[in-house]
Amino acid sequence: MTTAPSFLSGFKRRLDFWNIATVVVLAVLFVLLILPVFSVFFVSFLDEDTGAVTLDNYVTVFTRNYYLKGLWNTLFVGGLGTLGACLIGVPLAFFTARFQIKGKAIVSTLAILVLVSPPFIGAYAWIMMLGSNGFITNFFGRFGIDIPTIYGAHGVILVFTLKFFPFVYLMTQNALMSVNKSFEDAARNLGCGPMSTFFKVTLPLVFPAISTGAIICFVLSIADFGTPAILGRGFRTLSTIAYSAYTSELGGKPTMAVTVSIIMMGISIIALVVQRRILAKRRYASALTNLPKPDKIEGVRNVLMHAYCYLVVGIAMFPTLVVVYTSFLNTKGPVFQPGFGLTSYARVLSDAPEAISNSFIFALTAVVLIAIFSSLISYLIVRRDTAVSGAIDVLMMVPYLVPGVVIAIGFVTTFRSDWFDLTGTAVIIIMIYFIRRLPYGVRATTNNLRQIKPSLEEAAINLGASPLSAFAKVTVPLIFPGMIVGALLSFITAINELSSTLILYTSGTATMPVKIYISVLDGEFGLAAALSTILLVSTGLCVYAVFRLSDDKEGSFT
Amino acid sequence: MSSVEISGVRKLYGPVVALSEIDISIKSGQFYTLLGPSGCGKTTLLRTIAGFHFQNAGTIAVDGAEIQELPAHKRNVAMVFQDYAVFPHLSVFDNVAFGLKQRKVAAAELSERVDRALRMVQLENFAKRMPHELSGGQQQRVGLARAIVVESSVLLMDEPLSNLDAKLRVELRAELRKIQQSLGMTTVYVTHDQEEALAMSDVVCVMFNGVIQQAAPPFEIYDQPANKFVASFVGGNNFLTMENRAEGLHMVAANAQLNAEALDVAAIAAIRPELVKIQKDASVDTNQLSIAGKIEQISFIGREIELHVAATNGEVIKSITRPSPEVISMTVGDSCYAVINRDDVLLFEDTETGARIV
Repeated sequence: MTTAPSFLSGFKRRLDFWNIATVVVLAVLFVLLILPVFSVFFVSFLDEDTGAVTLDNYVTVFTRNYYLKGLWNTLFVGGLGTLGACLIGVPLAFFTARFQIKGKAIVSTLAILVLVSPPFIGAYAWIMMLGSNGFITNFFGRFGIDIPTIYGAHGVILVFTLKFFPFVYLMTQNALMSVNKSFEDAARNLGCGPMSTFFKVTLPLVFPAISTGAIICFVLSIADFGTPAILGRGFRTLSTIAYSAYTSELGGKPTMAVTVSIIMMGISIIALVVQRRILAKRRYASALTNLPKPDKIEGVRNVLMHAYCYLVVGIAMFPTLVVVYTSFLNTKGPVFQPGFGLTSYARVLSDAPEAISNSFIFALTAVVLIAIFSSLISYLIVRRDTAVSGAIDVLMMVPYLVPGVVIAIGFVTTFRSDWFDLTGTAVIIIMIYFIRRLPYGVRATTNNLRQIKPSLEEAAINLGASPLSAFAKVTVPLIFPGMIVGALLSFITAINELSSTLILYTSGTATMPVKIYISVLDGEFGLAAALSTILLVSTGLCVYAVFRLSDDKEGSFT
Repeated sequence: MSSVEISGVRKLYGPVVALSEIDISIKSGQFYTLLGPSGCGKTTLLRTIAGFHFQNAGTIAVDGAEIQELPAHKRNVAMVFQDYAVFPHLSVFDNVAFGLKQRKVAAAELSERVDRALRMVQLENFAKRMPHELSGGQQQRVGLARAIVVESSVLLMDEPLSNLDAKLRVELRAELRKIQQSLGMTTVYVTHDQEEALAMSDVVCVMFNGVIQQAAPPFEIYDQPANKFVASFVGGNNFLTMENRAEGLHMVAANAQLNAEALDVAAIAAIRPELVKIQKDASVDTNQLSIAGKIEQISFIGREIELHVAATNGEVIKSITRPSPEVISMTVGDSCYAVINRDDVLLFEDTETGARIV
């Protein structure tokens, strides 16, 4: 065996397309993900004034009442919002999965629309209904009845509940529909009544799905900025504390903003680890045979069940309808006038046309990059069984867990130095959309690629195609549907992004969500409503496209 | 066509030895089959030739030129896959044309060669179809046409018939062999189906645990197995306990001496079921041994009858025989004698891959 030449050619062998792609992907993930997150992490251990390494920032958070209160508030609204989402979502899932509900498709479509519309729009719609000048508040006020306003913890919990229940609902419904009917038949056969069958057999079997949905709710609630920012009124959570710390520390080192952000991230990670721990012991293989068929029930129970389903999605959709309705009210400046008209839309065009174009340009550019990278990354994850591709797979979890505020501050500390400054540019916003929404694209293409036999690519290579050409001629055409679905999902989430844009934007790079947020704070409800409607319609069109293209419509969104 | 020379190929997966010191020499135009149970390394070896795995040591040469360091797409060794791997987004014609396009064959010649290949696999009327409109057997014909059309130096086939139903498998097997012979293509064929291996091959190479056990023409593999593993894996066999005694080598079930001299290793005897005769009386020639026992099971399988005889020492001897009136008249529980010729008995060292002694 000749060792020297085979060593040389071994090196040449390693220079193939996929090894180069691995290096490129790792480099991109390093610069856009690892570096910013670590720089944030690092800054949290620095003294604000001296720059010395210290634990004082963490000590401050865990001793000062202001921060402790914020931590407690975050856990409180996150926990109760998640609980609320489960209490609404699980029964809804059970009804739609196990009984014949008329208009079931509409129920799940509306739930998905609720899911994809940004939470801050919901928050602000509730202000228009139940805020201090809300129409419901005013309606009751005319009769001298003071009803409690929406501001504060209960408002945030309400919005979280109604906003995030679709995750629990869709995941539980999916699990309920794939539980082998024989388990329940066996329980009945062994003497369980319908209720005890549900609680002793069905519910434990779908517990993994419920807990996964709940964890998503919790993580999103912890990280959500828009809702407590709009509805909080003195009720502060960690994300609003981090943001205001960041804006007040502007110019200096954002140490407190960063420390608080790291703690938010820690909570998300702990929640995820706990859930994984619980699930590790509960792996139930779902046989795709003997699936349950929805029962038909009669009478009052049937009516009540239908009423419940429609009511839940109705209430959840209501804020959106209020927003659309409001957008067509006549306004004069920030003041609503009687009658309908397009004045709000005219104001969008005169005051904030660049918000629309910015939103689309940033999101579309990011999505094109996401489509390209997610096809490469999913190939590495699915087809290359190496430690590096395993690491990339794990890294793809990180953007889900890192709140927008954290990564945005990381971008500022990483991409602003004495010689270059990307803050305030379109590039930095596109980069943050790219890295934060990349996992959506990767997940869609990965799922698609897993269904494609590796022998197809091998056949192409065997017939003389280089690895790159086999990928382009065989793999890409076959995963194209997944790439499109992934692109649409990333687009939906990118165009609705608020928290990190708010930290990175300048007057020239404001997007629709930023403009909506600012308008709401300024009391410009008409302008906010018109922008929100444009955002909702764009989102809705993408949802429709996903529905047309995807086999597993609801699964694509959870 | 081309000859293939594989020498000293080793492949490790961590500490697991997938292939150990593989030496194979395939003559031009030969149909060479790698046969073995799953996990024996046969597919690993085929994929190493194709370049989908890289060996840790050793060389693979086609017509004297070493290819073991070439990337898979430059090896010119067309492969037929177990799961067909017909590109679902391309028509039958485009599937077959794929390799020719990679080789930048001019349009007119390309079309002519694709047509010829499709005629050869009897799919000339299916050129415009999409793969999902084809049956499994038709898809594998596309796979075959796609591989032969590029006129590569070696044709590799990875269990190409194992996903098809039994009848089609036998049909396509004959057809495949005919096409291979008419083109004179050097072929390396992987299968776990011994009947397929024996029926199609010029040389059968039996593998086990990453080691070549025996490579020989089909009849020799069956008739003169080199070790106990080959004797047990290819065709049915009875294995009977032997004892080394002072007076010589003793067959326990027959309670008789086989050889005058004892061996210095533990041995086991093998006798093919079709060489075991079942009779009611004990009379035998001097060159025969008889094993007294009771009939335990009778299965009529069409052309033949299979009998299981439990010997007095508990060992079960299988016999496959023509359904003669004497055999048909027997029932379970009858006393009988299993008679074998001393010359038909093969002796092996009594380990999993024990070497042949006689």
